[in-house]
Amino acid sequence: MARGASTPEALVAAAVDGLPSGTTADARLTRSTWTTIRFANSRIHQPLIERHAYLSFRVAEGGRLGTATTVDLTPDGVAAVVRAARSMARVAPVEKRFRGFPNDGAPKPTRVAYSSATVATTPEEATRVAERILAATAAGSPGGRTAGVLNVGGETLRVLNSTGLNRSTETSAAQTSVLVDRPERDPPVSGWSEGAHWDLRRLDAARVGREAAERVATSAPEAAAPGEYRVLLRAPAVGDLLGFLAYLGFGGNGEVEGWSCLKGRRGKRIAPSDVNLVDDARSRDTLPSAIDYEGVATRALPLIRHGVAGPAVTDVLTSGRLRKPLTGHALSPEAPQSYFGPIPSHLVLTPGKAREDELIRETKRGILVTRFHYVRVVDPGKSVITGMTRDGTYRIENGEIAGPVRNLRFTQSVLGALHDVELVGRDARLMGGERGGMASTCPDLVTSSFRFTSATLF
Amino acid sequence: MSETLLGVALDAARTNGIRYADVRVVTPQRYLNLAVRNGNASSLTSSLSSGIGVRVRTDRAWGFAGTSELTPAGARQAARDAVRLARAASRGAKRPLELTDEAGPRDGRYATPLREDPFEVSSDEVVALLTDAERRLHASADVKSGIASFQAWDETKWFRSSDGASFHSRIVQVGAGVSATAVRAGMVQTRSAPGPFGGDFSQAGFEFVRGLGLASRAEEVGKEAVQLLDAPACPTGPTTLVLGSSQLALQVHESVGHAVELDRIYGSEAAYAGTSWVAPEAIGTLAYGSAGMNIIADATEAGGMGTFGWDDEGVVAQRVPIVAAGTLVGVLTSRETAAHLGLARSGGTARADGPDRSPLIRMTNIDLQPGDRSFDELLSGVKDGVFLETNRSWSIDDKRLNFQFGTEVGHRIVNGELGGLLRNSIYAGMTPEFWRSMDAVGNASTWHLWGLPNCGKGQPSQLARVSHGAPAARFRNVSVRGG
Repeated sequence: MARGASTPEALVAAAVDGLPSGTTADARLTRSTWTTIRFANSRIHQPLIERHAYLSFRVAEGGRLGTATTVDLTPDGVAAVVRAARSMARVAPVEKRFRGFPNDGAPKPTRVAYSSATVATTPEEATRVAERILAATAAGSPGGRTAGVLNVGGETLRVLNSTGLNRSTETSAAQTSVLVDRPERDPPVSGWSEGAHWDLRRLDAARVGREAAERVATSAPEAAAPGEYRVLLRAPAVGDLLGFLAYLGFGGNGEVEGWSCLKGRRGKRIAPSDVNLVDDARSRDTLPSAIDYEGVATRALPLIRHGVAGPAVTDVLTSGRLRKPLTGHALSPEAPQSYFGPIPSHLVLTPGKAREDELIRETKRGILVTRFHYVRVVDPGKSVITGMTRDGTYRIENGEIAGPVRNLRFTQSVLGALHDVELVGRDARLMGGERGGMASTCPDLVTSSFRFTSATLF
Repeated sequence: MSETLLGVALDAARTNGIRYADVRVVTPQRYLNLAVRNGNASSLTSSLSSGIGVRVRTDRAWGFAGTSELTPAGARQAARDAVRLARAASRGAKRPLELTDEAGPRDGRYATPLREDPFEVSSDEVVALLTDAERRLHASADVKSGIASFQAWDETKWFRSSDGASFHSRIVQVGAGVSATAVRAGMVQTRSAPGPFGGDFSQAGFEFVRGLGLASRAEEVGKEAVQLLDAPACPTGPTTLVLGSSQLALQVHESVGHAVELDRIYGSEAAYAGTSWVAPEAIGTLAYGSAGMNIIADATEAGGMGTFGWDDEGVVAQRVPIVAAGTLVGVLTSRETAAHLGLARSGGTARADGPDRSPLIRMTNIDLQPGDRSFDELLSGVKDGVFLETNRSWSIDDKRLNFQFGTEVGHRIVNGELGGLLRNSIYAGMTPEFWRSMDAVGNASTWHLWGLPNCGKGQPSQLARVSHGAPAARFRNVSVRGG
């Protein structure tokens, strides 16, 4: 450890520089503050603040990689994490295609879009935003019961490696999701909305509350028979489908191991030409980040261009195994999600031209889905997933919303749904991103054939 | 140091209007994740964490704050944050919060009985074990992904509350497994052992991992993954279904365990995880399943991932009957929800997955008790049916009614005999009808306590480690199909 190093940043830099010859490293130092206001039964019930500082340290010794993490950022703590990472590396199998830690030589990025006021949100301010949501739902659905969450905060990430790379990025996020339900009705009914922005001041949380309240059915849902339907998927449902496609089709490990649902389809048409999906962590329409967790500058990567499938994303390991360029999608190596390898996490589906009323009219006869629940993979090679609809499922007849229906289970290929897209809505919404994590910006979609396999009682 | 921090945080939280406070200091919180994937190191990670969590309550609202800064200044900051949140949340709260008054032992120590501390086992030995097992998975070139993994957790915790509870615990948990994925012509088939989700897990030392026999299982796992590529699809239609122990454990988890969490029943998780089809007034009368259905939530069970001395509200671990002879008799509770239900005491199931998270109602070890049939006797009554085992996909609606599960393997049952492999097997149903259709329950020889390391709940998301004991069992007239 270098003498005089005092701050955690200096300690980590000294640790990376001080490794013996033949040993290289990369390190991620993160500091985060998040305030979460959970509400249920129309009152705030679980407010929470988290403050974290965290170091992930990975070493490579002769192609053997090992990782250790710690929250102890004292000199002793940093020294210990280096020892632990080296002890892991010593027992690792050799990664034959490891090409060294990256340094893409791009200009130092820091902020893309960042709100220091959002990160500095006080407990009182966050609580007042939650109260505005509760007031909006109470006005919009008198007698309804409101539940949901508001997440506000941010993270500073600094990545260093033995090539001399030393970059940081600051991210901020404000995200809310709101449910309004009427559990006393038989069957119960509910409505849902969500939204996110990197700046709390630009997140219209009360509007999200009003939308959730407006979507609560006023009549009793009727049963709909399982079967194939044309569906109008609201943005949250679209985001779910695209999130699964992100790792089943565009994830690095699926490409390396041959189980990607896009194996043999890259460069080929998988959707109509007005389907354009890009992963863009530099977009101000997402929760942007200037670098990935290996310090590689992020950039826009077309995943579906005019309906044609693009490449899988990579990190340093998958780029070596695939002999493909880095795309700036590395996760922290110890992250549980790294099991799936690098995955796109800033999805932006290009909006079309159709207004909501046009989408409903053109659907003619089908099902409107607000949101999915508990979606899981049934067959990864065919991109088949299953899940339930919830919180606002409606029957469309003669181009109008005819009334609510009880929730349905779908078992459907994501690629099949994309292939059959007929209309793309014009209004995109940023969703997801709890703690700044995976988010998507999507409009509504109409797809001509969607398979519902069973129904539930409500 | 930890005892000092408890006192610092608790003193800082005792301010005007704060009626209750509790503090958890967790240090160290260690995690080992070693995995070999296709001969490479998928993950070789050693994590060391620690932190302080402070929870306070006014007469109307909670506040919680967690920090990784394990210093007196960090403890005071967390207490101040929690108090500010609780006061702010109190403004709009109309209903007073009540907690149960807890009796029973409220202080002491708990430690996992260990024969071989997993954090003292040489990483060379563990990686050699995994490398050998992973190599054996590659039964043919069709196996495109082989994974052998080991995980271990070690959490040392100090707890103190303003109403007199105090404990210290050290909980160590381990698990390991192998998984092979075979791919051919767009078809993907996975086979795992001992179970899905990374294998099997227990609150135990490394002796548990040695007993799993990963290397000896791996060759069969690889072969079955390849055989599944050529297996016929599961037939479609209503039929008699025999579920193996590990799949039935997950069925218990999804369609009973979550459904009887009282915070879900009361709507506290409505927006995210959902609510429940179970109404509080149904306790004591609801026919949840057939007469052979007996379920106990046992936080005292040896080896259970959901075993502890005290929960994260300082309530002593208990053994709580949930379903007795098919009737719902109990639910999973915290101090707040138990008081709301009118119970004198909490069942002690409030847990947080770390010092930076507020405790929620979590499953402990939710066990379906064994019946009296051998496995052969379960099959013998079946002229034409299917046997399904090892979960592949799982989904259930937000009231825990409509479910659909896929399994890695199936076998046709014809005249009481198991046939060859079936692929892409799916069964589906509605929770009460399904459990009421259970007409035979396997005996102790079919029963196993499965550890599950990844039960998600809450916002921000928390992962609980729980266990489920389950036998094999037989269900009539269940909808199955090949995916």
